[in-house]
Amino acid sequence: MDRMMRGINRFIREFKAIVKHPYFGYVFFGMMFLILLLLRNQGWVTISVINTAVIVMIYTVISLGFSLLLGFGGLASLGTAGFVGFGSFLMGYLHGVLNYSLGVTLVLSLSVALAIGLIVGFISLRIEGMYLAIITLGLGEILRQFFISYDTFTGGFSGRSFREFTLFGINFVSGDGKYFNMVYIIVVIMFVLAMIATINIIKSPTGRALLAMKNSDSAAQSMGISLIKYRLLAFVLSTVFALLGGMLYIMHTKFSYAPQWNLSFSLEILAAVIVGGAQSIFGIAIGVFLIFGLKISVLNYIPFFQANPALIVIFNGALIILVVMFYPGGLIRLLQTLKYIVVKRFGLLKQKWRRYRYGEDD
Amino acid sequence: MPGIDIAIRQILIVNAILFLLFFVIDIAFFRKKIKRPLYRGRLINALITIGILTMFVASIKVFTWPLLLQIFLLNTVDLCILILATTGVVLIFKTSVTTNFAQGMMATFGAFFATTVVIRLMAKYSGSQTLYLFIGLFSGVLVSFLLGLIIDVGIIRRGRHVSSVGKQMITMGLVMVLMGAIPVIFGSNPIALPAFSIDVEIFNIGEHILVIPVQNLYAIVITLVVLVILFAALRFTKWGLGVRATASSEMVASMMGVNTRAITAMSWAIAGGLGAIAAFFYASSGAQVQVASMVGVQVNAFMAAVLGSFSSFGGPIVGALLINIFSSIAPFYDGTWQVVIVYGIILLIVLAKPLGLFGKKTAKKV
Repeated sequence: MDRMMRGINRFIREFKAIVKHPYFGYVFFGMMFLILLLLRNQGWVTISVINTAVIVMIYTVISLGFSLLLGFGGLASLGTAGFVGFGSFLMGYLHGVLNYSLGVTLVLSLSVALAIGLIVGFISLRIEGMYLAIITLGLGEILRQFFISYDTFTGGFSGRSFREFTLFGINFVSGDGKYFNMVYIIVVIMFVLAMIATINIIKSPTGRALLAMKNSDSAAQSMGISLIKYRLLAFVLSTVFALLGGMLYIMHTKFSYAPQWNLSFSLEILAAVIVGGAQSIFGIAIGVFLIFGLKISVLNYIPFFQANPALIVIFNGALIILVVMFYPGGLIRLLQTLKYIVVKRFGLLKQKWRRYRYGEDD
Repeated sequence: MPGIDIAIRQILIVNAILFLLFFVIDIAFFRKKIKRPLYRGRLINALITIGILTMFVASIKVFTWPLLLQIFLLNTVDLCILILATTGVVLIFKTSVTTNFAQGMMATFGAFFATTVVIRLMAKYSGSQTLYLFIGLFSGVLVSFLLGLIIDVGIIRRGRHVSSVGKQMITMGLVMVLMGAIPVIFGSNPIALPAFSIDVEIFNIGEHILVIPVQNLYAIVITLVVLVILFAALRFTKWGLGVRATASSEMVASMMGVNTRAITAMSWAIAGGLGAIAAFFYASSGAQVQVASMVGVQVNAFMAAVLGSFSSFGGPIVGALLINIFSSIAPFYDGTWQVVIVYGIILLIVLAKPLGLFGKKTAKKV
C-alpha cells in the first residue's frame, strides 16, 4: 500500500514536471491539431475546419519569423509576401519540375533564404524605421515582378502547380485523402518545431540581444551587442521561416500564382502579428486565425454574412481597427486580463471556502 | 532600337566606376579621419547627380531628345497623379508619423462619388461636359475631405498612443473597411469616367512636332493651382506653421499652445482631397474607377516619398518627378522588367543616401 502510494506520488510529480516543461504547451497545441485530423477522418468535423487549421498553421510559421523581426528586432519589413512566394516557387520548380529530391530542395531553398536574408539585413543596416518598411515593400514588388516575368521558374500568369509526392518511398498518392493527411502531419510537425525554435531563440541571449536592439541601437551597442550580427541574424531567421512557410503552402494547396504574393499579403501577415500580440507565440496564432481563418471557418457560415458577403471584409477591417485601438499590445493582452480576473475570483472563492470551513480568523 | 546595348553598357560602366571611386576615396581618405568630414556627403550628392545625368545623357543619345520629350509630355498626367498622391502621403506622415495605406482607398472613394455625380448629371441634363466634370471633381474632393476628417476624428485621434506600426495597421483596417463599403455604396462594377477632352494640342519646337493631350494640360493646371495654394498655406498660414511644429514634435507643439488635434484633422482631410483629385485624373485619363485602381500609384507615392525624404515637402515632389521619368524611359530599355529597373535604381540611391535625396539628419536622444 505504502509502495503504491509512493508510486502514484512519483507519477504525479513526473506528470507535473512534464506539464511545467516549456515545450509542453506547444506540443499539446500540435497534438490538438492532430486530434482534429482524426476527428475529420471519423467524419465528425467538416473539411473547412481542417483547411482553416492548415492555413492557420502555415501562416503562423511565417508570422513567427516575422515576429522575431518586428516584436523582438523592432524592424518592420513589408517584403514578406515576396519571400513566401519565393519559397513556394522554389519548391514547385526544383521538386516539381526538375525532380530534385526533397532534401536537396530543402538545402537549396535554405541557402536561397540565407542569401536573401543577408541582402535585406545589409540593407537594414543603413536604412531604418519607416524607410526600411517602404524599401522592403519595394523589394517585395521587385520580387513579384520577377515572379510574373520569369515564367520558366514560376509559370507566369498560369501559375505553378505542384504534383503530389511520396515520402520515404511510401505511396501516399493513391486517393482517399492520404496525401492530404500526410501534408497535414508534415505541417503540424513544422508548426510545432517552428514554435519551439522561436521560444528557444526568444529565451536565449540572442532574443535578449534583439530586444535590447529594439529599445535602443546605441545603448545595445554600448553594451557590446554587435548590431551587424544580430540584424543579419534576425533577417536570415525571418526569411528562413517565410520560405519554409511558402514551401508548406505549395505542398498543401498544390498551386502557387505569382500575382497573389502582393503587398496586401505582407500587410495581412503584419496585421496578424500586431493584432495577436507581437511578442507572444500563442498570440500570433490567435492573430493569424483572426485575420486568415475567421472568414473561411466561421463568418462564411453565418446566414447574415452569407446574405451580404461585402460585410465580411468590413467586419474584418473594423475588428483590426478596434483591436489595435483598444489593445495595442495585441489580443493576448485581453486573454491575460481575463486570466487575471479568473485567478482573482478563484482566490476570493478559496478564501470564502476557508472561512466557511475553518471559521473566521480573529 | 540599335544602340540600346551600348547605352546600357555605358550606364553600367559609368555607375560602377562611380561606386568604386567612392569606396576608394572613402576607405583611403574619409575613414582615416576621426570625425566624418562634411564634404563626404557632398561627394555622395555629386556622384549620385553624375550617375543620374549619365542615364539621361545615354538615353538621349539612343532615343534622341524629341522622342524623350514627347514621352515625358504624354506621361505628365501620371506625374500629376503621383505628385498629388505623394503630397498627401507626406502630409499625413508629418502629422501622424505613419504611412497611410488607406490613402489610395480614400482617394478611390472620392473618385467613385465624383464619377457617380458626373454620370447622373450627364444623364439628366444636356449641358457642357466640362462643367459637369468640374462639379464632379469638386464634389469628390469634398467627400474625400470629409472622409479624411471623419477618419481622423473618429479613429486616428483616439489611437494617438498607438505605435507607428500600430497606426499602419489601423490604416490597413481602414483599407479593408473601405474596400467592403465601396461596392455596397457604389455598386461592384468599375465605372468609366469621361475625359475633360480627347483632343490633342500640336506644337512645334524647331522642326520637331510635339503632341500633348488637352487632358494633360487640365491635369497640369489643376495640380499646379492646388500645389501653389497648398505650399502657400504651409509657408504663410498659421495652419502651415502648426503642421511644421507638429512634425518636429507633437507633444512640444501641443505644450506650446498649438491645437495639434485640429492640425492633424485638417492634414488628414487635405490629404484625402489631394488623393481624390489624383484618383479623378487617374480614372478620367483612360482607366476606369475600380476599387483597387490606386494601389500601384500609392506604392509609387511611398517610394517617391522615401526617395525625396519625408522630412521636406519639396523633396518628395522631386522624387515623384524622378520616378516618373525613370518609369517612362525604362520600358524602352526593357518592357518586362520596368518595375525592377525603377525600384532597383531607387533602392541604390536610397542605400547611398539613407534619409532620401533631400533628407536632413535629425539629432536623436539616446
